[in-house]
Amino acid sequence: MNEMGVTTNSAFLCLFTSASAFGSPIVQMAQQTVNTAIDSLSAALKSNIIPNQEYFLQGSILDSSVEVLLHRLRGLCDNVDTTLETFHDHEMCFSIRGPNNAQPALQLRVRRSLDHNGMPMQLRYIGQPEIGDKSRPTVLRNSIDIGTSNTVVEFLTELGCRKDFEYLAKGYMFRKGRMKITVFKVFKIDETRKMSGGAFESLTALTHSYLVELSVLAPSGQDAIADDMRCFAEQLRPLVQLEKIDYKRLVHGP
Amino acid sequence: MQREEKQQDAVLEAVISRVNDLKTSIGAMIFKVENEYETLNWPNFLDNFALISGQLTSLTKILSNEKAPALRNFTVLPLMLKPDLDENLARVTEGRLTTFSHDIVPDYLRTKPEPDAEMKMVQLEHKANCVTYETTQKQVATMNKVVGHVWDLVNKAREEWESEAGSRSGAAQTFSLTDTPLLVAAISMGKGLKHTVTPGAMMGGPPPGPQRGPGALGPPQGPPGGIPGQMGPMGKAPSAIKTNIKAAGQMHPYR
Repeated sequence: MNEMGVTTNSAFLCLFTSASAFGSPIVQMAQQTVNTAIDSLSAALKSNIIPNQEYFLQGSILDSSVEVLLHRLRGLCDNVDTTLETFHDHEMCFSIRGPNNAQPALQLRVRRSLDHNGMPMQLRYIGQPEIGDKSRPTVLRNSIDIGTSNTVVEFLTELGCRKDFEYLAKGYMFRKGRMKITVFKVFKIDETRKMSGGAFESLTALTHSYLVELSVLAPSGQDAIADDMRCFAEQLRPLVQLEKIDYKRLVHGP
Repeated sequence: MQREEKQQDAVLEAVISRVNDLKTSIGAMIFKVENEYETLNWPNFLDNFALISGQLTSLTKILSNEKAPALRNFTVLPLMLKPDLDENLARVTEGRLTTFSHDIVPDYLRTKPEPDAEMKMVQLEHKANCVTYETTQKQVATMNKVVGHVWDLVNKAREEWESEAGSRSGAAQTFSLTDTPLLVAAISMGKGLKHTVTPGAMMGGPPPGPQRGPGALGPPQGPPGGIPGQMGPMGKAPSAIKTNIKAAGQMHPYR
């Protein structure tokens, strides 16, 4: 999937560089810049420093016990000197199918913060998760993300992506070293939202639980971090059971 | 008569086996008390009593069975007594009785209780006869009350223990096993989040999108598909228009 990401990028770049055969200085400069970018990208890929793998564990906790979990996380984590870090994000999931209606569709996620309107939006590609066997403590999946401007939704729609689903995530974020722990509630957005033009008035919580995710973004090959994650997950028991969840087995149909 | 004999035999067999079991358990208990008295504690010792009481109950059941003839109607009479060694007898009694002679027969075949036991029984019966009916009633009532109190106490203690253990495990339910897969499925695959869009709105949505789509993605097949599509609305090649519009309508690559 790395290669796919790279070829998509280079395909787009080729479109722009094909016109540079005319040889104008600006276009040549553009060509130079493009080569350098591709060179640095391939160099980075070779030296394995791009954090494109995500190790993660998921669990859930009932609404009634969330306070206890937050207290415990405040004791364990780093970034909670003054107040809890909250986030209120709107995530949309787009998918685009290859020619001949090829399955599976490529899924891209766009995430924007509703609290901070000026921040860039995040475009993310998440690959198929590898559950592995008992020896692997966490789920491993490819993850490539990039910051974008707020025109990314139009861009994707123009490309031909279709919005599959969207949801609102509201919760808290904690950090411990390289690990990121998020405790958030998933809200379903009602159709009527579209009429009001942006303001999310009608929201329904999906369940009476908060989802807890523990994730680390790292370059491939750093499996030792997974053991650290498992040790941390043990500290949150028995409040919340962080474990590998295979969502493919959960859904038998789209 | 033969049927009764058969019944009698069957009952005797059962009684013999039960009595043997009883004998073994009593023997085991005595052994325990004599040899393991240092390591023995009351609950373990009570197990023996429980076992014996179980065996006595089963014995009583057999004897009180409808098909069991009342044994008190039968008498055991010795037919022959001799002071010689009887091997058969020794074998049957596991070496306890070797001779069926005059002095052991009265003890083994007695039907009346022993003199000491008999005297005690007589005393108790005498005592029971002296007490009036009312006193007995009162005594029975007090006994019932006391037993009732003890029963309540024990029950309450048990409930407290159970609820304590229950509350410890009850509070541990801080996560729901069903919610976790639901939430994970929702954010990964949109299960429960996808809303149904009417087909009319979808088709009418972005009409220029599909026709411009092939141009942007897939350069080799883009231009030939895109150009006739753009020429379609202009109406230059009627047959080509129809083919391409049909193709675009059927094969919608992004749906």
